[in-house]
Amino acid sequence: MNSISPVKIWRHQKETSLLLEKEGKIVSWTLVRVPPFGYERQAPYPVVLVELKIGKRMIGQLVDWQENDLKTGRQVKTVYRRIRQPDPEGVIPYGIKFKPI
Amino acid sequence: MKISVLGVGTTKFGELWEVSPRALVKEAVSEALSDANLKLSDIEALYVGNMLSGILGKQENLGALFAEELGIDIPAFKVEGACASGGLAVHNAINSILAGVYRTVLVVGVEKMTDHNPGEVVSALMGAGHDEERLAGMTFPGLYAMLARSYIEKYKTKKEDLAAVAVKNHYHATLNPKAQFQFKVSLDQVLASPSVAEPLRLLDCSPISDGASAIIIAKVNPPAGGQKATRRKNVYITASTVATDTLSLAGRKDLTSLTSAVKAAGKAYKMAGIEPGNIDVAEVHDCFSIAEIIACEDLSFFPKGKAASEIAKGKTTLGQGRPVVNPSGGLKACGHPVGATGVKQIAEIATQLRGEAGLRQVKGAKVGLTHNVGGSGAVAAIHILKNE
Repeated sequence: MNSISPVKIWRHQKETSLLLEKEGKIVSWTLVRVPPFGYERQAPYPVVLVELKIGKRMIGQLVDWQENDLKTGRQVKTVYRRIRQPDPEGVIPYGIKFKPI
Repeated sequence: MKISVLGVGTTKFGELWEVSPRALVKEAVSEALSDANLKLSDIEALYVGNMLSGILGKQENLGALFAEELGIDIPAFKVEGACASGGLAVHNAINSILAGVYRTVLVVGVEKMTDHNPGEVVSALMGAGHDEERLAGMTFPGLYAMLARSYIEKYKTKKEDLAAVAVKNHYHATLNPKAQFQFKVSLDQVLASPSVAEPLRLLDCSPISDGASAIIIAKVNPPAGGQKATRRKNVYITASTVATDTLSLAGRKDLTSLTSAVKAAGKAYKMAGIEPGNIDVAEVHDCFSIAEIIACEDLSFFPKGKAASEIAKGKTTLGQGRPVVNPSGGLKACGHPVGATGVKQIAEIATQLRGEAGLRQVKGAKVGLTHNVGGSGAVAAIHILKNE
């Protein structure tokens, strides 16, 4: 597994904190069954493209979901979650995911 | 604009475990030189289209590497633009000729993907995406699945019509001895194949492939001693355009079209002085079935929302309709060694316009087009070719 840059994570945190608890709706979605390196233990997982009420569009995973949450137009909000398995040096990346509301 | 295509050469595409990237390039270049009746000493510059050599093979500096392999010491460059690397390399090579810097230029597209495990390849390909998409665990099938969902919901596309793209391209590949998958698949097989990223299934997706393709291009008049003294038709590139768009799908307003392709195609039709209706044959970037449907609309072959049903009716199938789309089998069935694809598309169209495509020949083809896309539409390269 590739190592994760703590510097990059730290730099992203400044923007991430501004995007928490924001509401929006699903514009498009998929269910990833063949994952990239580092995401094997999460698959299958839904990834959603969301239009936030603040006008910004974002892509992220959907968490705490049921089958009937996977539809365009579904209301969601941003939450802070662990992104993937830690890298060999133990860096645990956190970032934004979405949760149905 | 008028640039001669003097020679073309393409290796077999597929899982070529016994062949190195150096050997792939040497084979494609030898074939192109022999086809053009030229010597390496006639070549003034080399452009290499490649995406993954660094991220997968830990090898960069490909210009010098392949110049060394070929035994020449001319100016040589790697051009990268994800899956459009090949098309961008051709565009840059053409510009160098138009600028008057070089007269005769070799372009090679090459990719070696099957040396690495599929998870690594999926991750490496995501190098073409946005950081936010990578953090989400997104994949290229996933990104095109999002485009497919938006398209299907907007135009009420039948799943059978989506699957028909793969059926057509596999049929075409049965006529191409260089293709990775020279066998037919049925509609039922496509619809029953495992889901990769809903709604896309395994047989909606192009494969992981090895391969190389080379073309030799020059100013209108072939150099002395060039081109065999045959009655072979000359083929010219009459338009070469590139356009870009946001790296991430989240930056797009419309998820049923690739704006970069629309813009590049519009410029290309104008540059060549032709209409979409003049195209007899096209190689388009069908990395996924939905991508060919969107491509056929972005290129104005069909009105918005109509391409899927028209393709399913055989309107782009060899021997049935015009323009014939992806006679090589496309990315889906000829294979998709990503850096090679954009060059292979031009090699295929040149072969078609010379009337040398054998069983897959589009009869009487005079004007052809190539459509090469990088990322989920972040970059597109369009070329138009004609014969004389």
